[in-house]
Amino acid sequence: MLVFRKPLQNVDHPEMPADIVIVGGGPAGMACALRLSQLIDEHNARNPDAELSKENIYVLEKAREIGQHCLSGALLDPRSMRELLPGFEKEAPLDAEVTKESVYFLTKTGKLKFPITPPPLRDHGNYVISINRFTKWLGSKVEETGITIFTGFAGSELLYDGNRIIGVRTDDKGVDKQNQPKSNFEPGYDLKAKVVILAEGTRGSLTKQLINKFNLDKDRNPQTYGQGIKELWEVPAGRIAAGEVIYTMGWPLTSREYGGAWIYGGKNNIVSLGFVTDLDYPDPRLDPHHVLQDFKQHPFVARLLEGGKMIRYGAKSLPYGGWWAIPPVSGDGWMILGDSAGFLNSQRLKGIHLAIKSGMLAAETAFEALAKNDASAAHLSSYQERVENSWIKDELWKVRNFHQGFEHGFWSGMFHAVIQQITGGRGLHDRYPASPGYKRMKKLADLPPDGGDEAHLLGPAKGDGKLTFDKLTDLYHSGTKHEEDQPAHLIIHDTNLCEERCVKEYGGPCQHFCPANVYELIDDSTAPNGKRISLNPSNCVHCKTCDIHDPYQIITWVPPEGGGGPNYDGM
Amino acid sequence: MPETILVLVEQREGKLNRVSWEALTAGQALAAETGWTLEAAVVGSGVSGIATEVAGKKVAKVYDIESPKLQPYTPDAFAAALKQFLSSSSPKLVLMPHTYQVRDFIPKLATSMGRTAITDCIGYKKEGDKLLFTRQMFQGKLAADVSFTGDAPWFVTFQNGAFRGDKVEAAPSPAPVETVNVDIQESAIRNKPQEIFKEAKQAVDLTQAEIIVAVGRGIKEQKNIEIAKQLAEALGGELAASRPICDSGWLPMDRQIGSSGQTVAPKLYLALGISGAIQHIVGMKGARTIIAINKDSEAPIFEIADYAIVGNLFDVVPALIEEVKKAKAGG
Repeated sequence: MLVFRKPLQNVDHPEMPADIVIVGGGPAGMACALRLSQLIDEHNARNPDAELSKENIYVLEKAREIGQHCLSGALLDPRSMRELLPGFEKEAPLDAEVTKESVYFLTKTGKLKFPITPPPLRDHGNYVISINRFTKWLGSKVEETGITIFTGFAGSELLYDGNRIIGVRTDDKGVDKQNQPKSNFEPGYDLKAKVVILAEGTRGSLTKQLINKFNLDKDRNPQTYGQGIKELWEVPAGRIAAGEVIYTMGWPLTSREYGGAWIYGGKNNIVSLGFVTDLDYPDPRLDPHHVLQDFKQHPFVARLLEGGKMIRYGAKSLPYGGWWAIPPVSGDGWMILGDSAGFLNSQRLKGIHLAIKSGMLAAETAFEALAKNDASAAHLSSYQERVENSWIKDELWKVRNFHQGFEHGFWSGMFHAVIQQITGGRGLHDRYPASPGYKRMKKLADLPPDGGDEAHLLGPAKGDGKLTFDKLTDLYHSGTKHEEDQPAHLIIHDTNLCEERCVKEYGGPCQHFCPANVYELIDDSTAPNGKRISLNPSNCVHCKTCDIHDPYQIITWVPPEGGGGPNYDGM
Repeated sequence: MPETILVLVEQREGKLNRVSWEALTAGQALAAETGWTLEAAVVGSGVSGIATEVAGKKVAKVYDIESPKLQPYTPDAFAAALKQFLSSSSPKLVLMPHTYQVRDFIPKLATSMGRTAITDCIGYKKEGDKLLFTRQMFQGKLAADVSFTGDAPWFVTFQNGAFRGDKVEAAPSPAPVETVNVDIQESAIRNKPQEIFKEAKQAVDLTQAEIIVAVGRGIKEQKNIEIAKQLAEALGGELAASRPICDSGWLPMDRQIGSSGQTVAPKLYLALGISGAIQHIVGMKGARTIIAINKDSEAPIFEIADYAIVGNLFDVVPALIEEVKKAKAGG
């Protein structure tokens, strides 16, 4: 019997006053906190009689340690970091500056090198980094300022006064599998804040609540997403130079799926490689984890990894929708940053620099709100204006139609991309529409039973234990751990639908798109279609794909007890 | 007249709970700083021995609050007894250790008197005339100083370890002990205490088992666990399982082997219907001999098995049980 996490009734939540609460300690949240501290320092130097305090600025981070839930390729475009901390290169943990890049189109066994690297994928001057180590470093800078980071605490609910956001409730601790308090039960805290800043990453759970409550996605393109699966490898010396960057398109995907791979050479023969599969593929049996395993078997990749060792695994979703999909980013008492807002350049596959910039801009607005004691919608709208007047908009505007162009397949996408390149991003019409990826999933009845051209991507990957791995083995390398005795934090609003309809219509895509084996359909002769839905919530790597991609939209991801989740050391 | 600090000493089943000395140390320190009078009390039936023991410490007076209705312990009776006592003695501060018993009755007592309790404190501060009590927030990441604004008595409980029990000061001569008999109405006690719960000593210590029979998803249904149990019994081993079995509640969590369960290294490990995901393997790969039975010849468990039986466990296991029994009878 599945019992889902839901707020306990009749529990008093201790209250704590705060000035600013930042939900999420990734690059956006940390940059925001750091910029706030700088502005307050400058203000206090100018106004010794009217000092502002940093004591009531808090960052909530659900990971046990800073950076443990941060995953990315990653390449850092240093533009925003140079604004935030000039000369940051001297002390930040950077693996290598990019010195060489190449782009390939792969066929099953062959490869075609692009004669020139397309401009958006030129990465000279960018840095190969581990976002985990980088965020840890950024977090330590924040801690030095005196701003408190509550690690192990998730934002579980927004607190409202009418239509105004007045704070955040943290997660309840010590709730058992049956959703009953245990002897170590500790209710969540109500952090009453003047400004709440949401920097939760892709598909933030509080951001989702906010978007739904105020219909913030009205008149916007629906957000679309990709799922990135990453493995970190240690390879024999000489295979790839630190700072070498390789992108591939094509195989193992067919022209009906959009996606591609990255391979980045880091320090000490560490290679970051991964595959991003767009969450708008037609076949519900497709398994993005399987896609990465296929990719590694391409002779080009297999040669690179041969004799090496996979040392870490993880997965993350990323927002691809671009400028037209970004909701209003500020309102009465709130602002949205980074991936939660959708600040990601899908053409360059980069979002970290935009996340940092958005955090800095939000900090400027939050600082003014603090100084003037005015966090009204009217005042916080200056964040929206700052974004629109910044290079965030310049960069995203040029690629506003890029990703939508690929909705009808790879080749039509390439065609649109070229047209857009010469028309300053406009392409054939001013605003390319988009449809949510889950709607593009086809029913089994409309697909070849054997999978046709996609057959090799479907179902679970087997794994040879050397080059390729089954999902559970990979998952083991994510270091994921949760308190086991807690209710399921993946809330399926109607499990009957899973068993009565989904099994028949789509064959249970959750078991395939989940990169962590959280969802299983188990043989059960008493279930209507012979399969029963079962959950392994403690496997969850917090990628949110289920919340995004289930075809009936009946799954809600909420934070599990704070402290649980993956351990993305070095990722 | 100076104010009074009362330390409530805890007894269970007529035995002093030694964590009470920590509360008494706190009381002595507070009394020294404020100049207030320090008294102590013990609540129970026939607990004068404890009162006398406490009277050997540096306190002005010890109350032995007695009623036959206070044994066995019930929160109703304790709250009623203390309410009665406090209405006549009126201390300013009541200090207690933050024990399960105190957590059980203190909300009831404080609420019935319309007073406030500051619980689970890790220390106190005196700022001018103001007493501040320090509590942890956000799992110890912040400390909050809390003060009383309402009427006395003020109830305070201290976290275990906040003060040094061994630093409690003894007195050169014993303090006087006053017995206070309280009258508790039968009807006031709504709780019916059951037999005292003794934590079952862990029924199974798999790490010490020499033979383990472990079942996995291949066992299919809860009722089939019986055959694994029979095999374990025949071999004189312990029964264990992989995670899906314990997740389904078919076996208790303490029998789970693997990264989210126990790590074992028996002489013999029999894996029945276990595929051998790495999460399970890390919990049992140290076994000296591993026998795996699985239908799927490609199951990863066979990579580490010393003996592999590819077959239906429902055919193999009953045959094994027979053979083990025969061998034992013959030997």
